Amino acid sequence: MTSTTKKPFSKDILHIEDIDTVCNEIIAKMRTDVAKKLQRRGAVIGISGGIDSSACLALSAKAFGPKNVTAIMLPEQDSSDDSRNLAEELAAAFGVTQTLVENITGALEGFGCYQRRDEAIGRVVTDFDPAVDKAKIEIKQDPASTLPPIFSITVIKPNGDVVSKLLPAMEYLQIVAATNFKQRSRMSMLYYHAERLHCAVIGTPNKHEVEQGFFVKYGDGGADIMPIGHLYKTQVFQISAHLGVPQGILDRTPTTDTYTAEQTQEDFFYQMPHKEMDLFWYGFENGYPAEEVGKVMGKSTEDVENIYKNMERKQKTTAYLRMKPIF
Amino acid sequence: MLPVIETKNKIRDYILESTFDDVENITDDTLIFEKGVLDSMGLLFLIEFLKEEFGVTTNDDELVVENFESINNIVTFLESKQ
Repeated sequence: MTSTTKKPFSKDILHIEDIDTVCNEIIAKMRTDVAKKLQRRGAVIGISGGIDSSACLALSAKAFGPKNVTAIMLPEQDSSDDSRNLAEELAAAFGVTQTLVENITGALEGFGCYQRRDEAIGRVVTDFDPAVDKAKIEIKQDPASTLPPIFSITVIKPNGDVVSKLLPAMEYLQIVAATNFKQRSRMSMLYYHAERLHCAVIGTPNKHEVEQGFFVKYGDGGADIMPIGHLYKTQVFQISAHLGVPQGILDRTPTTDTYTAEQTQEDFFYQMPHKEMDLFWYGFENGYPAEEVGKVMGKSTEDVENIYKNMERKQKTTAYLRMKPIF
Repeated sequence: MLPVIETKNKIRDYILESTFDDVENITDDTLIFEKGVLDSMGLLFLIEFLKEEFGVTTNDDELVVENFESINNIVTFLESKQ
């Protein structure tokens, strides 16, 4: 495929020109989906202080009116305090007064989330002390490598010493499975409130998260509608700024807020800043030649080809997450 | 160290058993990741297999495509670790 009939690839190719129209179309669709298709009377949304849930709350407040939106903060013992403060500021900014705090730490302790996760980390980093050490998992490989990404565990000691080790398969799987209790517990709590209030659960994943599989099946992937599921992260930022999301949220580096050590989404999954990721993804899915994209992005054609291959591989390997039960 | 042919057969058998792929699809030169025979979890389990079967531990800095892209490359990697 060539790009002769398309706009030339550029760094601002994802910029939304008519942002009012785009926002109004999303808002109109949310109303139709919730009121007509789902026959629910408002929205329940989990807010974290991150950009995606903030955009969704802003859109929900516009779509259903602030009084028909319930914003729920779902912190647990590893959540940062910043997240809660920003979430409260966000709800206030959009006039959403029905805000709840549901601390899910007790539920997670009941599931053995922390104990199972820490036990797996301890098998790899034998002097890991969950009481004082911080931990996170991350990908350290070059995104242009043609080898699939492999996760490492990084443990940060109180004195600042860092231990990083490649995660063996069983330990990696146990850490992820245990940690996924967080997203699944949040989903359960959101549906409790949605059913209690006869509302729809608003899912917050953006286009990357949906298509590259950066979500937990039946966790944050469990929702009734996903209003920003078709938007690149750059566009989520643009819409959020347009709708008046507080500056503190717009300025924040996207994090997972899932592990005890601070962890950006870039460390955890994307392997490059979201602005770059967006542009490569756009080039990949719209058939822009690697050479054309490489010239704009300052990468070699071979690097872009490898990034495209990685994207294709992520799509394939995470297809399971997007599948409905097979029968 | 096992004869090379036996090492190759063990790796091939492992890949076939874990992927249910057809035997004719996996030659010694098949680019197993580029062709999508194994994904990232497949790579992790392959590393475990190499440790259990051949006693070879893979370090972070050895996690490069040249060491894993085909059965031939894996065998060369194993030989370099002996």
